[in-house]
Amino acid sequence: MTEAVLRSESLGLLLWRRFLKHRLAIASAVLLILLAVASAAAPLIEAAMGTPSWETDLMNRLAPPSLAHPLGTDELGRDYFIRMLYGGRVSLFVALVAAVTAMLIGTLIGLLAGYYGGVLDALLMRLADSVIALPLLPLLIVLAAIDPTELGLPDALVRSEEFSIYRVAAIIGLVGWPRVARLVRGATLSMREREFVRAAEALGAGAGRIMAVHILPNVLSPVIVATTLSVGGIILFESVLSFLGLGVQPPVASWGNMLTGAQELIWDAPMLVVWPGLLIFVTVIAFNFLGDGLNDALDPRAIER
Amino acid sequence: MTRFLTQRLFESVLLLAVMSFVVYGLIGLMPGDPIDILVMSNPELTDEDARRLKALLRLDEPIHARYLAWAGQALTGDFGYSRVHGQPVLTVLGPHLVRTLWLMGIAFVLAVAIAIPVGIIAALRPYSLTDYAVNFFTFAGISIPPFWLALLLIMLFSVQLEWLPAGGVPFRADAGWLDHARHLVLPVLTLTVLSVAGFTRYMRSDMMEALRQDYIRTAWAKGLPQHRVVLNHALRNALIPLVTVIALDFGTLFSGALITETMFAYPGMGKLIYDAIMGNDYNLALVGLLFATLLILVGNLLADLAYGWLDPRISYR
Amino acid sequence: MRRLRQFIFILVAAVAAVAGAPRAEAAKDELVIGITQFPANFNPLIEAMLAKSYILAMATRPITSFDKDWALVCLLCTTLPTIENGLAEIEDLPPDHEGPYKKGVALTVSLHPEARWGDGTPVTSADVVFTWEVGRHPQSGVGNVEGFRRILRIDVQDDKTFTLHVDRLTFDYNSLNGLWLLPAHLEREAFRDPIEYRNRTTFDTDTTNPGLYFGPYRITAVESGSHVVLEPNPTWYGPKPHFKRIVVRAITNTAALEANLRSGAIDYVAGELGLTLDQALAFEKRNRAAFTFLYKAGLVYEHIDLNLDNPILKDRRVRQALLYGIDRETLVAQLFAGRQPVAHSSVNPLDWVVADDIPKYAHDPARAKALLDAAGWSRIEGGVRHNGQGERLALTLMTTAGNRARELVQQVLQSQWRKLGIDVRVRNEPARVFFGQTVSQRRFPAMAMFAWISSPESVPRTTLHSTMIPTQENNFAGQNYTGFKNAQVDALIDQIEVELDRAKRKQLWAELQRIYATELPALPLFFRANPYILPSWLKGVEPTGHQFPSTLRVEAWRAAP
Repeated sequence: MTEAVLRSESLGLLLWRRFLKHRLAIASAVLLILLAVASAAAPLIEAAMGTPSWETDLMNRLAPPSLAHPLGTDELGRDYFIRMLYGGRVSLFVALVAAVTAMLIGTLIGLLAGYYGGVLDALLMRLADSVIALPLLPLLIVLAAIDPTELGLPDALVRSEEFSIYRVAAIIGLVGWPRVARLVRGATLSMREREFVRAAEALGAGAGRIMAVHILPNVLSPVIVATTLSVGGIILFESVLSFLGLGVQPPVASWGNMLTGAQELIWDAPMLVVWPGLLIFVTVIAFNFLGDGLNDALDPRAIER
Repeated sequence: MTRFLTQRLFESVLLLAVMSFVVYGLIGLMPGDPIDILVMSNPELTDEDARRLKALLRLDEPIHARYLAWAGQALTGDFGYSRVHGQPVLTVLGPHLVRTLWLMGIAFVLAVAIAIPVGIIAALRPYSLTDYAVNFFTFAGISIPPFWLALLLIMLFSVQLEWLPAGGVPFRADAGWLDHARHLVLPVLTLTVLSVAGFTRYMRSDMMEALRQDYIRTAWAKGLPQHRVVLNHALRNALIPLVTVIALDFGTLFSGALITETMFAYPGMGKLIYDAIMGNDYNLALVGLLFATLLILVGNLLADLAYGWLDPRISYR
Repeated sequence: MRRLRQFIFILVAAVAAVAGAPRAEAAKDELVIGITQFPANFNPLIEAMLAKSYILAMATRPITSFDKDWALVCLLCTTLPTIENGLAEIEDLPPDHEGPYKKGVALTVSLHPEARWGDGTPVTSADVVFTWEVGRHPQSGVGNVEGFRRILRIDVQDDKTFTLHVDRLTFDYNSLNGLWLLPAHLEREAFRDPIEYRNRTTFDTDTTNPGLYFGPYRITAVESGSHVVLEPNPTWYGPKPHFKRIVVRAITNTAALEANLRSGAIDYVAGELGLTLDQALAFEKRNRAAFTFLYKAGLVYEHIDLNLDNPILKDRRVRQALLYGIDRETLVAQLFAGRQPVAHSSVNPLDWVVADDIPKYAHDPARAKALLDAAGWSRIEGGVRHNGQGERLALTLMTTAGNRARELVQQVLQSQWRKLGIDVRVRNEPARVFFGQTVSQRRFPAMAMFAWISSPESVPRTTLHSTMIPTQENNFAGQNYTGFKNAQVDALIDQIEVELDRAKRKQLWAELQRIYATELPALPLFFRANPYILPSWLKGVEPTGHQFPSTLRVEAWRAAP
């Protein structure tokens, strides 16, 4: 920290503010855990409340909040609270699976490129560059419209209602890895010159072992931060896909398709738009705060000051 | 420098060629060709007609044959006709491309013009109230679903306050620049909010990083005034990572344009390409996507050049 | 940082200045129409597209069309040729003519004497002959070649009169609804190389050329993807149109379309391509005063095609149970405020051939259960019915992804069937996949929900005749997607087509509807209604309810003071 800035702030204030900053990350973590638990427990809550999420009641459309329906009902008379929970289940699942997929692929490719270098490095990094250079959204449109049975997936899976969840998660995961790969490659490049790696090599350890035992743990923290930060982006992206009609398909609820479905009712039943919009907003912002907090906690330079 | 540029150009052209085949193949994988859809909407169309039309549009040939035929023509500068519009692809694409470039260009300049000063202010007083406010708004900016933001802006400024048109383009022949500008305000605002947040966050952290460097400490120690230290020394270095991020972000800006164009009924390229893909307009979708890729590649190339300008230590061999 | 503050201040001031500029007061001699689609091309013969025919109907006209009361009328001709008035004559087909029809018909038509293209050139028989040449040419890229090929020969009597020799005598022998004329004097050059015609047509290379149009308005400006401007055409032979300018704006997102209507940026949302019904109903609740709402239920038949090759759906009792099991009346009443009539067969209640004494399926869960029990699906396990072999009563219901109205209906039906122990799974696809492959190649495993749009008294040959089942062998021709085979229905369709006597035809139609409602190759849901939202000052708009747009009467539209 520069003297000029330090002069204007007392040490105590600085500490307090740093604490506040981490408290924000902690609060975000708590909120996300609560959301995840509530979403995971959706079937239990549904059973306890006795209002099945699929049961439509045309005589009770767009009902205001009540004891039986804490957030009212949607345009088909279904309990909106339970639908929000189920929507969270799907949105969080998609985001986590996609983020972890991207992380795994990216880490593997980054490790290989950074460790072996040479032609393999050049090839893999050009591949990463091309994936980044692809205009994402139009390509996703193309990918989402392809008949999955032509790719050899089992019919039973393709025909299930939940298939769109896996498709969206897989597509986002498959195009999201290059950023992680670049990160890992960079870190691996500097690691492999370190003494302890050299020593392990001299002792005859295999390349796989060196990468897994010696390099991986040391490049993990930026990867975790990047992955956390990407989760929020994916939740947003899922809502954009839903807006284009290419996301998770009804009757499976996701926050994205609930928000899209309710946009026409924004004048008549604004709360149907506000709830999913708010939850997306809060969740994404929480993931960002969490990622930021993790970054500060895991980045030694950030703590130094 | 020249060698570096040649190499980058060569790579870019290669990438474009590969992309063209990948995209061509992907569009071919999409089920249902345009004639099948035509048969559906026109009960009187006979099977013989369908086959005749397919032959006419060469849809009965295998995909690689069609691609090679297309690529051969494209090399001579003939990108073919849009099937749906019945016009040369470039004629259809041109006006839309210009409109999207206007939209994206203004939003981009605004976003950078806001992000740099705001990022600097936040970095100069980290963990101050200003910093927290900036932090909160930038996080908020990257946490809003884009179409939701667009709808809220339309509700507020067009319907409630009646200040601004909800997008579109003026249709009177005598519309002045002011009228054009008024129609652009909301779409530009939406795109700006979407990208300014990310830029500001990077600007802030890059600036803080730069201010930690030894030579900045030296500059302070020499008693140089704040604005000179920040603007002359730190900013240059802080801009390098920002340029990378912006270049990588070009693709995102493009998808943001699709949503914005749809919500504001703005006749731009994002919407055109989307419709072309959905309407199975091979040539148009293909050339449109290649143009989008080209934009990103040019963005990356410019970023590389910007490095050289910003950091003399980077030399191109 | 003072400079920064200055910069921000200037920015804010600039935005405020732009925002505060005066709004142009919309004059009543201008009408801005909002629709949800932009026409990709403007040639009337190439590819049918609703947005295109909506706009073209203001600028040009087919020779005949159905009016708002679904009666066939002349638009460009002077007298409708009929056998009674002698302008239509039955004639024998040439001996070498192939096909199932024995008799042909000769139609003598006179074009309106005052009809002139916008550049002053008269509309003549030569245009008719040219249009026919383009239409039937195998390489011209025209969609509906079949309609043109039925015309064997055209005899030109004089500049305005000609005789068409048609190769079949059907009850609708005198409808020339698909005959939109092309201006020979502008298009002949473009047609010199037929295969290039679709890329050279003046309609797309020079859309604002006045010589392309003879209707009440003509297209004067096109901004691709955004809007089309029309202004009165001085050569128009009918009543003088009211508006100095009509602007058709395309706004694809319906929420944004509604916002534009609220903000006054558009005056009128067309029903043909406008808001969804539930959206319009919600809008009406708060805006009764400023707008007129017209709901026109029409010839858009929403239904669920059942794949009759599916072992479960082969059993007629199951098909009937499916229909008894859903509450279409409540669905229509609650979701669509009763604006869409429940369908009992594929024939619209407003069509004159509709029959009333056919089986109807009011909501009756008890009966549905009894039918399912009788069909062997009696053992309920985990909420789902099973048959003697232990198979589940599970069906897949598909429709177009992203069509919200259909998705809502689909979820209601799914919920109602689920209560009867029928495990219905929803799987939706983008329209181009759904129609381009799944439905047209009969790849849907059980149920496919979509709509047929038709003209009045349209014979269901392509959808119900057993020769129209799409298969690999016939290259997936035909639209009998259910795989329905019924000798009686085949015979009825053949008879209806050539029966000229209205009373007899009505009987045949009644029989057809009875069989349809008994056999249920498809589950009839309802006839879709289109919401027209007019500003209260706009008068004269009359929704048609059939596939021909209301703009065919645009000259009657006016602004009340």
